[in-house]
Amino acid sequence: MVTCTGCALLCDDIEVIVENNRIKEIKNACRRGAARMKGCSNRLVPCVDQKPTDIESSIQKAAQIIRNSKAPMLFGLDNSTCEAQVKGIHFAKKINGILDDTSSFCQGILIERVLAQKFRTCSLDDIRNKADVLVYWGSDAQDSQPRHLSRFSYFPRGELRQRGYEEDRMAIAIDVRESNTAKICKGHFYRIPPKGDREFILALIDALYGKVPAYDTKKMLELAGILKKAEFGAIFVGIGLTYSIKDDFDVLTALAQKLPNFNIMPMVGHYNMRGFNETMFKETGFVNKVKFNGKAVHDIKYSIMESLNEKTADAIVVVGSDPVSSLPGPVLSRLASIPVICIDPCVTMTSKIATVTIPCAVSGLESAGTAVRMDGKVIGLSKIIESEYLTDEEIMERLVEAV
Amino acid sequence: MDMDFGKFLKSPEYDIKIITYRDIFHAEALESDRFGEEYKKLSAAISMSKTDMQKMGIKSGDRVKISNNFASIVVQTNESKRDEPGGLAFMVNSPWSNSLVSGETRGKGIPEFKNIDAKISLSKEEITTLDKLMKAFIKNPI
Amino acid sequence: MVTVMELYQLLPRTNCKKCGESTCMAFAVAMLGRKKNVAECTPLLEANFKKQKEKLESLLLPVAGAEETGMIVHPELCTGCGNCVVACPVDVANDPHGAGMGCAPTNDKVIFKVVDGKVLASNIKECRRFGKNKVLCYACIDPCPTGAIEFV
Repeated sequence: MVTCTGCALLCDDIEVIVENNRIKEIKNACRRGAARMKGCSNRLVPCVDQKPTDIESSIQKAAQIIRNSKAPMLFGLDNSTCEAQVKGIHFAKKINGILDDTSSFCQGILIERVLAQKFRTCSLDDIRNKADVLVYWGSDAQDSQPRHLSRFSYFPRGELRQRGYEEDRMAIAIDVRESNTAKICKGHFYRIPPKGDREFILALIDALYGKVPAYDTKKMLELAGILKKAEFGAIFVGIGLTYSIKDDFDVLTALAQKLPNFNIMPMVGHYNMRGFNETMFKETGFVNKVKFNGKAVHDIKYSIMESLNEKTADAIVVVGSDPVSSLPGPVLSRLASIPVICIDPCVTMTSKIATVTIPCAVSGLESAGTAVRMDGKVIGLSKIIESEYLTDEEIMERLVEAV
Repeated sequence: MDMDFGKFLKSPEYDIKIITYRDIFHAEALESDRFGEEYKKLSAAISMSKTDMQKMGIKSGDRVKISNNFASIVVQTNESKRDEPGGLAFMVNSPWSNSLVSGETRGKGIPEFKNIDAKISLSKEEITTLDKLMKAFIKNPI
Repeated sequence: MVTVMELYQLLPRTNCKKCGESTCMAFAVAMLGRKKNVAECTPLLEANFKKQKEKLESLLLPVAGAEETGMIVHPELCTGCGNCVVACPVDVANDPHGAGMGCAPTNDKVIFKVVDGKVLASNIKECRRFGKNKVLCYACIDPCPTGAIEFV
């Protein structure tokens, strides 16, 4: 059995058949996971100024760029093991750098609150064993965490849910779009207008207090009735909800307080994004957006977006992430105007604009370690095939030495 | 002499709100080759309700220009298989949709990835390539 | 999925009985049930029916691949989510502590398995829809968000 790194469900029941050091067949992984484990078609090669070189020269050039930088930034590590993340944090400390990851424009705002115990939360195993009412909110698990419903939340039989989805569980979707998850929730899909989540929550709170909700009264009272009767409920908060209420996140806290039998579970995409947030939280007390300067300073200006907008960083090391692909177009010119050092197993849009590229092993495939599942459980990753690539952990160590 | 009067007539423009989402087939294409045809095909696409498309005179498979203050891209239209509310269009989250997103975050660090206002009109231009997207934002890609 | 009416519309509709069925409609039903094939309608072999014959064959193509239960899996639509693996009552009964709990199947008695990101059906004779006194079970179709499983 090996672990899949396709998403933060970290399915650890995968069987692989390896032949000639290549994965020939993958059992139990979903389409997304299988694609991830088969790997990319174009591996990265070490380059300086887009000219191929050896890995040693790449590392030395990267170190030189960082030495010459007044405000270096380290970004990424969501697709790295916890061990590499620890090394990454040490590296950022050593260079007095800014450190941020994808979570600052993704689920970080939610995970921060979960780690600070602003919400009740639980494990995915609790959900399998106990949950009777499941709310997928702004989350299309079927496409983003494809085995969520089958492994943990809706379909399986659990200790207290012996009749499975047929009788013992109810799935509800609240979304702007009729997603694949919403399709499974059939009679319990509540469609909301874009940015309508806050109003929906406020109306739902009213309904839970027994007041007449101002919004879609009949359906809202029906939903409040279902939630009140839940013995063990879960709200799976997707990025749709997080983005929609990012300016007033406390409404979700208020809703959670009104639902004592419910747990809040962040739906995470990148396999070890929660790991990054937890490792950072342990080391610095913050989940992301930090600048080291003897101590860790947390500020919005150290988020990747504001670092680019406010020109806070003057050189950037990107590890296992592709910001050129995932950031808004208008900030890319700033990213391309500073030296970029790209550490990744594959050619990415970011590697195409990088001054230095350093190829690394694919974690969980070519190197072992641990990662944190979306519910906080630590899961082991295995080395499945041999490779000559350095791990990102080793590259972080080498950079610490070289600067 | 061949006269294409169509090219002098500007296609009518309509306001749309684009919601971005994730798709497993798109995620699969990204994992295997982010520079490949499949990834481009699934990214450079927009879907709308049948009613909206009829109103705009757009058919499935038509190329459309999506533009706002930040970018102007050409993608393919698909009729949504679902019963969508009017005025909303859907794109998979990718460099194509991200090109239309403002870099302004009002000091929050989170851009409006899932809530994009744009104009849509029929277009005869080629579907925007990844290369062209990068060149639009990065003056001298190395 | 193709319907009996769609097939019927493409037949000669002369009720000539050359196929052994009493009406063209009965023949259409038999084709859909994989008891008869297109070639058994001899009038269709004539040149003026060429288009209809080709259309019929293309409509029946997915049916041709159906298992004995009439199950068809469309691997190109499957996301490999495994909902069917866990929802199938046969899988739950034959592997209660594996598939039944949402985990990877622990034995070979299950009907559904996910291989290379797509579902693969085996042990098809165990399916509730198979054999005499069958049950019209929908447990694998309903949980599939992409319509990757169907019965004909």
